[in-house]
Amino acid sequence: MKSRLAGIAAVAVAALATVGLTSCSGSAGASTSGHVSYWLWDANQLPAYQACASDFHKANPKITVDITQIGWNDYWTKLTNGMAAGTAPDVFTDHLSYYPDFVKTNQLLPLDDLVTKDKIDMGQYNPGLADLWVGKDGKRYGLPKDWDTIALFYNKKMTRAAGISDQQMQNLTWNPADGGTYGKVIAHLTIDKNGKRGDEPGFDKNSVVTYGLGLDGSGAGNGQTEWSFLTGTTGWTATNKNPWGTTFHYGDPRFQQTIAWWAGLAQKGYMPKLATTVGASVADSFGAGKAAVNSNGDWMIGQYKSYKGVDVGIAPTPIGPDGKRSSMFNGLADSIWAGTKNKDDAQKWVAYLASPACQDVVAAHAVVFPAITEATAKAAAAFKAKGVDVSAFTTQVKDKTTFLFPITDNATKVSGIMQPAMDAVVSGQAPASSLTAANNQVNALFH
Amino acid sequence: MTETMTLTTGSSRRRKPFRWSRALGWIALGVAIAASILPFYWMLRTSLSANADLASGSGSLLPVGFNIGAYLRVFGLQSQADAMAQGGSGASIDFWLYMGNSIVFATITTACAVFFSSMAAYAFSRLRWRGRDKVFGLFLATVLVPGIFTALPNFLLVRNLGLLNTMAGLVLPYLFMTPFCIFFMRQFFLNMSREIEEAAMLDGAGPFRVFFRIVLPNAAAPLATLALLTFMGQWNEYFWPLLVGTDDSSRVLTVGLGVFKSQSPQGAPDWSGLMAASLVAALPMLIMFFVFGKRIVNSIGFSGTK
Repeated sequence: MKSRLAGIAAVAVAALATVGLTSCSGSAGASTSGHVSYWLWDANQLPAYQACASDFHKANPKITVDITQIGWNDYWTKLTNGMAAGTAPDVFTDHLSYYPDFVKTNQLLPLDDLVTKDKIDMGQYNPGLADLWVGKDGKRYGLPKDWDTIALFYNKKMTRAAGISDQQMQNLTWNPADGGTYGKVIAHLTIDKNGKRGDEPGFDKNSVVTYGLGLDGSGAGNGQTEWSFLTGTTGWTATNKNPWGTTFHYGDPRFQQTIAWWAGLAQKGYMPKLATTVGASVADSFGAGKAAVNSNGDWMIGQYKSYKGVDVGIAPTPIGPDGKRSSMFNGLADSIWAGTKNKDDAQKWVAYLASPACQDVVAAHAVVFPAITEATAKAAAAFKAKGVDVSAFTTQVKDKTTFLFPITDNATKVSGIMQPAMDAVVSGQAPASSLTAANNQVNALFH
Repeated sequence: MTETMTLTTGSSRRRKPFRWSRALGWIALGVAIAASILPFYWMLRTSLSANADLASGSGSLLPVGFNIGAYLRVFGLQSQADAMAQGGSGASIDFWLYMGNSIVFATITTACAVFFSSMAAYAFSRLRWRGRDKVFGLFLATVLVPGIFTALPNFLLVRNLGLLNTMAGLVLPYLFMTPFCIFFMRQFFLNMSREIEEAAMLDGAGPFRVFFRIVLPNAAAPLATLALLTFMGQWNEYFWPLLVGTDDSSRVLTVGLGVFKSQSPQGAPDWSGLMAASLVAALPMLIMFFVFGKRIVNSIGFSGTK
């Protein structure tokens, strides 16, 4: 009797184990022959690249591209995880702040052979974009797909009510001492619950209804959308050289003055407190009428235009002390994972992504600016057809007022130091001069 | 709050004199109910709103721009163009597949963990051997180890076993015992009278027969409670499935719903889609509670009077 029951128990356990095993005959992530897996994060661009993929399949019937879209919040963890696990995609959309670390850990396939073999013309891209993807070792790790700059999104109803014309918005000036007309406009657009504007006597900074300027976050070490377009006009650069700088300049007075002015907006009540931005979307707050002006990138055009009942204007970033505008110029590229089992097909797909054939298709979808100069013009026309004037973004490229995203080693560690340091300054817990100590910490990473 | 006010006056009219303590009790109860119901209402309200209207109508108690597009999105019934026009990501989501994966994952892990843990708990409560309590203490101490510490070694192990992206890899770390389950069941077994077991043993039943025929049936109530708790925990599990289950065959619902989060840096999430998906994902839990909740409470009461 005893043994029979023990037998039943054993069978039960075995049965459970089999359930566990049979229900798991899933496939591993690595691509089979004839399939190229491709990852991207921006869902808005998914239809454009799906169109590219089906065109590519028509031209190469033996190769099918499987596109997976994963939101930005999970993209990098999943990608790194996939590289460690051996299940990363053959080809993926790569970002400048991540690729140096991938190169360091030998996760990317150099594309130099492909460029020579297919005679891909690096001159067809907007100047500078292709060079961003040449590693410290002189090898090329990505082919440019698009670019972005920064501009000011503003609520036209609010500027009209404040007596500020579109003409004025297009020609703002800024300096770190008094903020220039940019600072004046931000103050004037701020309204408290009694209807008093930020530059009027009796303004109550503790009960603001509409902030002049929205806040996304402290911007950590690069402030791409938050403050880099201001620091860029002061002659300040983040590193001693770019790419592959080894000394950071967060101790520079020009940088600290700019940050002090910008962080001061929050203390004056012209910009939300940092704490209120946690878990909130800066664009949603703009859509809700809680901020009149937002500095943001061109990838956000669709988002800003989607809010019902909000008339959105787009103005270029202000002209700074050096008499020019400035914007960070960031570009994405497609890279091949070194662990791909399908190198030839992956290379064909990357070459196609970087070609006018695909980038013209992307341009026609009017979601981003493709890297190829001619395709950029086509994208601008496509945006115009949708009723969006994107000149505020393109003017920076036309006038050559852009500077490149700072590419360095240790990008994640730099961000790990600068995020809390900048948060402390923007939330008013530390003076801008405290960034000198953070700068020393950052530079110690390289020496 | 108006509800609590009427309740307060109602009760004071019936029972004189008016008692502040009672009124305060009702108010506290009302606040507690509101605090637990309102978030769900807000999810419902947001899920029935249009993304484009949400920002401008953020103060509205009723859905703004009422539509059920978010639910169509959740069940994958909306075309990509429509989804994107309404602020969705346009990414496809195979809701029923992920739901099925979630059910398989939660069921297997719950069944195994509860079964093995109750066996272990029974051993810890009945068998006597040197150092038993010390070993049990050590076992219990592992509750203090945060899951994140074991995630990496577990991940490497599963990778080396070649089980990434499989259901086996997904369930493996949860399959055997968890300290909490053992503790929970051991406490119950310690309080269970031994006389019945001893009687059974005198009649010739071995430990397995005693365990399956006498101990487990008597422990039905705590087992059900434990299973429910474990199932809920497993249903909500996110980090491990995110690490291990990346392809469709092993992606559970919590991970699959990630498509409703923000798609680009600084981008806003698809709020109405996210809320609709969260509500739908929470439904099985709510149903389980409605079906089994009362029975569990009843049986706990029952076993208390035995």
